[in-house]
Amino acid sequence: MLGGEAGVGVVAQVPHLQAPTVDYGAIAPVLIVLGAACLSVLVEAFVARSARWSSQVALTLLTLGAAGAALGVHLYSFAADGRNVVTLAGTISVDGPALFLWGTLLALGLAAVLLIADRSVEPGGAFSADAAVRPGTAADRAQAEGAVRTAETVMQTEVFPLFLFSLGGMMVFLAANDLLTMFVALEVLSLPLYLMCGLARRRRLLAQEAAVKYFLLGAFSSAFFLYGVALLYGYAGSVSLARIAEASAGSNRPDMLLFCGLALLMVGLLFKGSVGPFHTWTPDVYQGAATPVTAFMAACTKVAAFGAILRVLTVAFEGTRWEWRGLLWAVAIASMVIGAVLGLTQTDVKRMIAYSSVAHAGFLLVGAIALTAQGLSGTMFYLLAYGFTTLAAFGVVTLVRNADGEATHLSQWAGLAKRSPLTAAVFAFLLFALAGIPLTSGFTGKFAVFSAALADGMAPLVVIALVASAVAAFFYLRVVVLMYFSEPAIDGPTVSVPGAFTTAAITLGVVVTLLLGVVPTFALNWAALGAFGS
Amino acid sequence: MIGLGETIAFWILGPLALAGALGMVFARNAVHSALWLAQTMLCLGALYMVQQAPFLGFVQIIVYTGAIMMLFLFVLMLVGKESVDSVVEVLRGQRVAAALAGIGLAVLLVSTLGRAFAGVTAVGLAKVNSTGGGNVANLGRSLYTDYLFPFELTSALLMTAAVGAMVLAFTERSKQGRLTQRERVEARIRGQRPSPLPGPGVFATMNSVATPALLPDGSVAPESLSELLESTGRDRLDAEVRSVVSAGADPDAHALRGPARSTPADQEGQE
Repeated sequence: MLGGEAGVGVVAQVPHLQAPTVDYGAIAPVLIVLGAACLSVLVEAFVARSARWSSQVALTLLTLGAAGAALGVHLYSFAADGRNVVTLAGTISVDGPALFLWGTLLALGLAAVLLIADRSVEPGGAFSADAAVRPGTAADRAQAEGAVRTAETVMQTEVFPLFLFSLGGMMVFLAANDLLTMFVALEVLSLPLYLMCGLARRRRLLAQEAAVKYFLLGAFSSAFFLYGVALLYGYAGSVSLARIAEASAGSNRPDMLLFCGLALLMVGLLFKGSVGPFHTWTPDVYQGAATPVTAFMAACTKVAAFGAILRVLTVAFEGTRWEWRGLLWAVAIASMVIGAVLGLTQTDVKRMIAYSSVAHAGFLLVGAIALTAQGLSGTMFYLLAYGFTTLAAFGVVTLVRNADGEATHLSQWAGLAKRSPLTAAVFAFLLFALAGIPLTSGFTGKFAVFSAALADGMAPLVVIALVASAVAAFFYLRVVVLMYFSEPAIDGPTVSVPGAFTTAAITLGVVVTLLLGVVPTFALNWAALGAFGS
Repeated sequence: MIGLGETIAFWILGPLALAGALGMVFARNAVHSALWLAQTMLCLGALYMVQQAPFLGFVQIIVYTGAIMMLFLFVLMLVGKESVDSVVEVLRGQRVAAALAGIGLAVLLVSTLGRAFAGVTAVGLAKVNSTGGGNVANLGRSLYTDYLFPFELTSALLMTAAVGAMVLAFTERSKQGRLTQRERVEARIRGQRPSPLPGPGVFATMNSVATPALLPDGSVAPESLSELLESTGRDRLDAEVRSVVSAGADPDAHALRGPARSTPADQEGQE
């Protein structure tokens, strides 16, 4: 058995390999982003330090543009024939939801990279000039507080290749058609995020704690995911989502294996989406990481995680939905209640938005478990709307500063409207969108998700979701009241005048939030363009 | 069917692997932990071979145990192997709750999986291994056909890891601000102090190099303090400088007493 038939004859009888066919046109956006990430590493190695920031920004923006163009070209042919492409030996499925969410990711990535690249709000950039310097030492203080930015103290530009790798991983993650590809993509998207969390310029101990916490818990949840994949492979004899669905349809295999596998798999996925009881990393990591990274994480990771949750549930587990749906009801309720109630007690703006993201993850899950065409398009629309709103909100958080960096304590935001009416108005609008007030994208998104859930017979869940939104609206409105009806503190923070990049990112977020609230039809139609193919 | 040899191998290797895993979790010393883990990996490698997956078994032993674990051990040895387990519970009752939940999950998984596998007939690898060129050739074929994309995608992971290691561990030494050897010599010979700097006050009161040397008048000799060490000595110097600022002449090394206080109020402030 152990090499008994090894030898020359064995090699001779191996048939020639048939390379899998690749539809390059369909997966061009992913290839462009990952290829540019490799190029970006080379830029880091060979371009002089003084020219690195500009070359990296140009390369990243160009990449996002090119990937968007490639996506547009494929979308054009997709709109004509509606053909789902399953390519690379069935590991990638480029279907309607994947295309919509790729577009969402690229647009959100553009806004996030504008925040990441900004060097005007925090002189030299929000990232450490030298992440290897021990926090708290003289060299660290020099890089954090030096008023003059020389070539030595501008930010580390490694954050750009890490950003591109992470974005590429997210794009693969939500298009993965089998669980093994999904797992590798999960790691590709997570590993750069762990690193980016630890690179903040200020409050570096907090940032490093956040990175370690995220890394350890993320590795733990990856292990759960992998255990689930192993059990599902044991059940179906394949890691392909379609084969799992086939195996679960009328077979005499032991269902225990299927549901244990599903439960463990979902732990890994829900962790990434910071849902419900798997959220404990969210506030600490959102608070500790540099705010542009937080914005990227909050917007894009959620899109990727929920894209994958939707795909797994719809493609592989639709046939067994009545067995598992009760459990996900409980998870959605837990997530909404935890987010809304703990959000009330927060005194830090970033932590507050973190708990709000937990509540929003619950709302998203309500749409995701509907498993109807309406639920799918509603959830995807919600992802688009929520991503832009939260990204712009974190963009505004970077602007309110005092001598120590960002002033994130809520008491420091008192009377902000008197210091800077425009910033306060923009932030209030974004909070209204997070609360789901009409004429903002938040309302349209919630409406789409809740009506889909109602149509699928989940009225009790919708009632709970409405109560949770009302509770959550309280803590958003509290901030609005604080900004408008309180006297500003004497030594309060100042509002920095943002440079072109941050202005562009915030404007993009606000405009999309408004447009999706006023004329959502276009995006809703696009979200309803197609179903999952496998 | 599970043969007799396989059963014997399982009952020897299984408990050993489990013991290694428990030892890894409970060992106080990080190096012992790593060695326990190596034992578990070796046992698993042998189990794979027994279960007709020779390639996986050898990879487990050669790559995981031989290369990765040993590299891990090197890093542990280099970084320092003392264990600093915190015994403080931040949340009260957290450990008990975590242990109960963990045991509960384990019981749940073991019982459900045990029930699930009871109704399953095992399919060995013998049939697959005898077709298409054997175990290794089949693995290679899957890797380059069915799983080509995930296989290629792992390169992104490796690149991220390399970039991350550089970012977190590599400090670029700046050329600016460093004196050449010649400049150092000239500064020494032509400067104010051709002699070496005073050593720290080690053993005068304590044995730390951060202890400042004292001048005859009892004040701190500024040159004896290291710029790099953030020490109480430096703080003491700063406090002294602050207290004597605008207090008259600099400390005089030949004087028997410190500089005269200018006003009684100042002196009160000192005490």
